[in-house]
Amino acid sequence: MPIFDQGYQHWKGQLSGHAWRWLAITRHGVRIGMQGRVFRAVLLVSLLPAMALATALCIWGLVERRSDLVSTIVQFLVSAQILSPGIVDDPRHYRLEIWTLCYNFFLSCELTLSMILILLVGPNLISQDLRFNALPLYLSRPLRRIDYLAGKLGVIAAFLGLAIIVPCLLSYGLGLLFSLDFSIVKDTYRLLLASVAYGVVIILSAGMLILALSSLTRNSRWVALFFLGIWIVSNIASGLLELADREQRRIAFNREMTAATPQKTPAPKTREERRRRMEVMNAAQAERLEKLEAQQTEASKSDWRPLVSYTGNLSRVGRQLLRTDACWEKLSEVQPLALRKRFLATWTGPQYPWYWSAGVLSGLFVLSAVILSFSVRSLDRLR
Amino acid sequence: MKPPAVAESPRALDVAPDRPPFGSSRLVSLWTAYALTLRQHLHGKRWMVIAGMCVLCAGLVVVVRATAPDVPAIMLEFVFAFLFIPQAILPLLALIYASGIVRDEQEEQTMTYLLIRPIPKWALYSVKLLATLTTTVTLAVLLTFLTYAAVYVGAETGTKDAPFRALQAASIHALAVVAYCCLFGLISLLTKRALVVGILYAALFEGLIANLPFSIRLATVVYYARLIAYRSMTFLVPLPNNPSRTNDLAAEIWQFDPKTDPGLLSHPQTRTCLIVLLAASAACAVIAAILFSIREFHLKTPEKA
Amino acid sequence: MTRTGDMAPIVDFHEVSKWYGNVIGINKLTVRVPAGVTGLLGPNGAGKSTFLQLATGQLYASQGKVRVLGQRVWNNSGINREIGLCPEQDAFYEWMTGWDFVYTSARLAGLSRWAARDATERTLEAVGMTQYQGRAIRGYSKGMRQRTKLAQALVHDPRVLFLDEPLTGTDPLARHDLMTIIQRLGNERKSVVVSSHVLHEVQTLTPNIILLNHGRLVAEGNVRDIRDLIDKHPHQIVLICEEYRKLAARVLSWPDVEGVRVLSQQKGIMVETHKPDAFYGRLPELSLEDGMAIKEVYSEDDSLESVFKYLVNA
Repeated sequence: MPIFDQGYQHWKGQLSGHAWRWLAITRHGVRIGMQGRVFRAVLLVSLLPAMALATALCIWGLVERRSDLVSTIVQFLVSAQILSPGIVDDPRHYRLEIWTLCYNFFLSCELTLSMILILLVGPNLISQDLRFNALPLYLSRPLRRIDYLAGKLGVIAAFLGLAIIVPCLLSYGLGLLFSLDFSIVKDTYRLLLASVAYGVVIILSAGMLILALSSLTRNSRWVALFFLGIWIVSNIASGLLELADREQRRIAFNREMTAATPQKTPAPKTREERRRRMEVMNAAQAERLEKLEAQQTEASKSDWRPLVSYTGNLSRVGRQLLRTDACWEKLSEVQPLALRKRFLATWTGPQYPWYWSAGVLSGLFVLSAVILSFSVRSLDRLR
Repeated sequence: MKPPAVAESPRALDVAPDRPPFGSSRLVSLWTAYALTLRQHLHGKRWMVIAGMCVLCAGLVVVVRATAPDVPAIMLEFVFAFLFIPQAILPLLALIYASGIVRDEQEEQTMTYLLIRPIPKWALYSVKLLATLTTTVTLAVLLTFLTYAAVYVGAETGTKDAPFRALQAASIHALAVVAYCCLFGLISLLTKRALVVGILYAALFEGLIANLPFSIRLATVVYYARLIAYRSMTFLVPLPNNPSRTNDLAAEIWQFDPKTDPGLLSHPQTRTCLIVLLAASAACAVIAAILFSIREFHLKTPEKA
Repeated sequence: MTRTGDMAPIVDFHEVSKWYGNVIGINKLTVRVPAGVTGLLGPNGAGKSTFLQLATGQLYASQGKVRVLGQRVWNNSGINREIGLCPEQDAFYEWMTGWDFVYTSARLAGLSRWAARDATERTLEAVGMTQYQGRAIRGYSKGMRQRTKLAQALVHDPRVLFLDEPLTGTDPLARHDLMTIIQRLGNERKSVVVSSHVLHEVQTLTPNIILLNHGRLVAEGNVRDIRDLIDKHPHQIVLICEEYRKLAARVLSWPDVEGVRVLSQQKGIMVETHKPDAFYGRLPELSLEDGMAIKEVYSEDDSLESVFKYLVNA
């Protein structure tokens, strides 16, 4: 036919399978998310810890090579007691520990920034579709509920991946390049895998949670405030419970000590007696404090109160994956013996079993999945 | 095309309702807008959220008392009623309700039904704000009393003064939540990102800056609330190793220095604090009402190109 | 274009312009809407919504003056006692029942409790919603929602009604009922401005229209008068006759006939003329001629749709 039909042309190709249907929803969600100026600014800010991580690993690479470029920095770190001279003398021995702690600090900062990113982009994901009745538009296509939910989760994964996982990988590469020692891979590949795994845990946990909240109401403001409540209020509540518990232990301890102390001793008469009395009292006080701290440390191994904090649970799982506590223990070996316990008490986190936190997070994940399965209904059950 | 036949209706629309005098009809409209806003706050599943919030603080106190029975009641009172509630719960409560005074109506597209009524726009905003204040103040007072009940019911000490202290705390919280609501209501008219700004304000400004011993804390709501609480109530906690001696918990945590400044003369007096909070709230409310009256609310037409 | 009569206008736009940033919504619009039922027409983006929002005081004019019943509307809440608006958006307080919604609207308008109750019952009955008034609005069909919207606009007995797409999404029965109500309102001397895309229904409601395009006034007044003034497009008149070819030859000789097209399937001809009245005047005489009995005469484009098409696509 010499004259061709200019009207609507039917699609003659073959439809792709379900494997990539979710990607269309993710792409759309990412495009919408990137339109917000505030969101873009926060995303940029969330990349700053990544730059700090990359810088720290590069500097450590140069420290291992004993480069003169970083000698001033090293001197400063030693004089400020941030780095111990024992570590600087044999940096390769502490390579894994230093890398682990750098990653740990980076991931701690990113945890907070990730919560903010989720707060900005997450509430609208499903609530807006409910408000504008867009669910029938999605589900009337050859799209399953799982594709729809995977697409929405993909939006969270895209942004958090950009803030957490991509910097982990890039910083690892940069650290490798700056140290010029490929035995680093053998020493630290587990760290890379652990940090990526931690990123995936944050994405899945927080992503499912915000999707579940978003599916409960058409008002995205309420979703954001609920999420904020879970994040901040749970943190504060956990802190208050721990504070009360510590106070309780302190009161009970002081009561015990008072009962054990002899009632009245005659007042010292001479200056020498007074000085000796002061020394004895100070030593007794120091011993009491040490006992109390030991009690607090022992109690923290079975303390359930940190489980109340949502981000606390994520941190605990992260510490387990990265084996941060083991690194602190190794670094405490360069500390004077008398200060080791205090050092560990300061830097290691709560010592309750990590699988408690994993259980809480798994429970939240399952609950989120159940909520989503009831809230996001198939087409024939939509109102 | 022939016009369709006019169907006969048993009651035509030609009987006009009696028109009441203009003044009383204005009051009726305002009262209806007020009642409508209250109903919006309480309908559906929202009451579950409200109940949850009220129970949260009291529930936490019950858990603490069960697991740490030796912690003095006064300390529990201070921590929950004067740290947790003012810094975490009240700003959240105000954000939930006040940031939605205008935003919720816009998102639900029901703003039109209010704007086309014979209610001046500034009055419309004012009654909606008043309804929001009614809800939030009631909730703040309720959860304060519930918290005090959880702290002092069955406690060994302090139960005699507890009702009066609860009343004092509830009044201070009511004042604080009024200030927060007026402020967040204004913010919701100034920016679309009222939630983000409100969270940043509550976390950074009220959460951090209010704890610094510098003049900048004069610009925070919680500073004035704390001063009123400090001047009107005592928070002396017995020392655990020497129960005859006490520690001024509030002074320590709130960065007041009664040792060098016993009467806190370098800080505003109670009356000044009250005036500042009320005046600031009124100013925010007036500015917001003016902004509301001069603003356009686009529902079908574009906001800007 | 044609101008309306000398009666006091209900809505008066004088040199009104409205910008949204760089986008112009209404461009130097001067129009006076008379009492009675007026249709507000225009393609998408013509400025109809802007017109209605300006007239109801939801937006303020960037330039010019807007008056309703002689009073300014922006920030003049008192005039809202006389105005009723049935908005286009499908938004309600979904948790309310129909009765509750209309009653609350009446109370918001300032009616006392008893007056509001009475007005609500009457209005709901008038729109045919008495049977469903106790049901929550979220359970209403589209037609019920439109009726409820109309009820809230009528409950306080306004003098001027603005209806923004009142027939959208309604089934034929509901549409018929709503049109009946609007016609009755016109008969009761209320002023109604109806914005709609459903041209043949607007034409049924009223011959008076305001036609907007790209924010400008294209035409206002009676559809017939407007049609007569459109010089660019001659009137198309169809004549059905057995001897249609002979008829075609005959009418071609008339000086005011611009063109003739043969419609062999219909056994007729379509005549284009700029003077339809003169043409119609000659038809009886022609019909009496031998073999020229005209069976049917009708105009193809003497309708609102044609006016709309000619003016908007011009």
